[in-house]
Amino acid sequence: MSSARAAVSELALRHLDAAYNLGRWLLGNEQDAADAVHDAFVRASRSAETYAGGNARAWWLAIVRNCCLARLQTRSGEQRHVALDQIAADQGQDAADALLAHDDDGAVEDRLEQAQRRALLVRHLQALPPEFREALILREIEELSYREIADVLQAPIGTVMSRLARGRALLQKSLGSPRPNEVKHGL
Amino acid sequence: MDCRSARELLAPYFDGELDRMASRELEAHLDGCADCRTALIELDGLRRTLRADLPRYAAPQALRARIRAEASKRLPMRIRQPRQRWLALAASWALAFAAGAVLVPPWSPHGGGAGEQAARDLFAGHWRALAAASPVDVVSTDRHMVKPWFAGKVAQAPLVQDFADRGFDLVGARIDYVGNARVPVLVYRHGRHLIDVFVLPEEAAAVPASVERQGYWLDRVLLGGLPAAVVSDMDASERARFVQMLATAK
Repeated sequence: MSSARAAVSELALRHLDAAYNLGRWLLGNEQDAADAVHDAFVRASRSAETYAGGNARAWWLAIVRNCCLARLQTRSGEQRHVALDQIAADQGQDAADALLAHDDDGAVEDRLEQAQRRALLVRHLQALPPEFREALILREIEELSYREIADVLQAPIGTVMSRLARGRALLQKSLGSPRPNEVKHGL
Repeated sequence: MDCRSARELLAPYFDGELDRMASRELEAHLDGCADCRTALIELDGLRRTLRADLPRYAAPQALRARIRAEASKRLPMRIRQPRQRWLALAASWALAFAAGAVLVPPWSPHGGGAGEQAARDLFAGHWRALAAASPVDVVSTDRHMVKPWFAGKVAQAPLVQDFADRGFDLVGARIDYVGNARVPVLVYRHGRHLIDVFVLPEEAAAVPASVERQGYWLDRVLLGGLPAAVVSDMDASERARFVQMLATAK
């Protein structure tokens, strides 16, 4: 069955960014995300023989997600909240630092504004309950279909739809209404 | 359509998950309703914001290297659980099948092999489809519509060919289950007969070459090199003709 394992390796490496991004958003820091993805790979290789067709990316991301949830559970609730708050703050600072580091013209203010906007968005998304956050990441960033998201979350499509709706509504509310002149050309 | 139902359909519409008929009804409502149009524009605004400003974290090189190293390592043998025994058995059948061996396990209506379980699933899938309002999830107007529909739904899209010129019309396709595997199904019509062509997952490749159940027949066939099963209530000569067409399809 080494061919099945080779296929899993190929699959995991092809969707490694998607796996890491999901882990990073669920766990909130690099080390945990990397460890969870590594766990997931070991687990996926072991069950390579039992993989029975279907959407391979969703199968892989479902394993990644389970490993992330297992990690979340082992962390104590209080620690987690402190960690996430700290991370959200760090992310904002990192983004600002990265953008400002090699700035030598007069566009500092624009960049600062962009960095602040990004930091704010990260903080708002990180503040959402994880079940809404993961649905939004899978749909808006990873561009998975409802069916694929349902496979990853191991939940019915109806649940996916209601979590997406709720997540979008919460995020829209926390970001404030978009200015119409910014988005009108979008449709 | 009122605003209430329109709002419920807005997100699936925006996400490209609404069928064509419902989309048209929603669009008719949107033409006359500025509020719902605004709600749609807000969905789009949120997506643009997220895609433009949200970091998509790329896997660090160290992680990639770690996975590569892990992949080349030998895994310890796993403890066999009862469930895996038939999988292993099915895998050995699949190998025999792939090697072109004539060694097909004998079909026994009361046995409990993987092949029989798979055959049961296939018949059940066919009967479910016959009882459903529509036997297909996507309607075909030509094969170029069916093939892309599978993308993202199953690991490998099957070979799709229309035999309308020979009396076997491609009706459409759906996704069905064999065991836990999601499998692509092509649906054809021949006269009053509805025909399902299931592309078989590896552990179901051991289905009997030909078997009857309550007037319905299952015939194993190779579809573009992949093991597949045809389920229908056609008579022997029609079945043979169709199997021949599938086997020689390009």
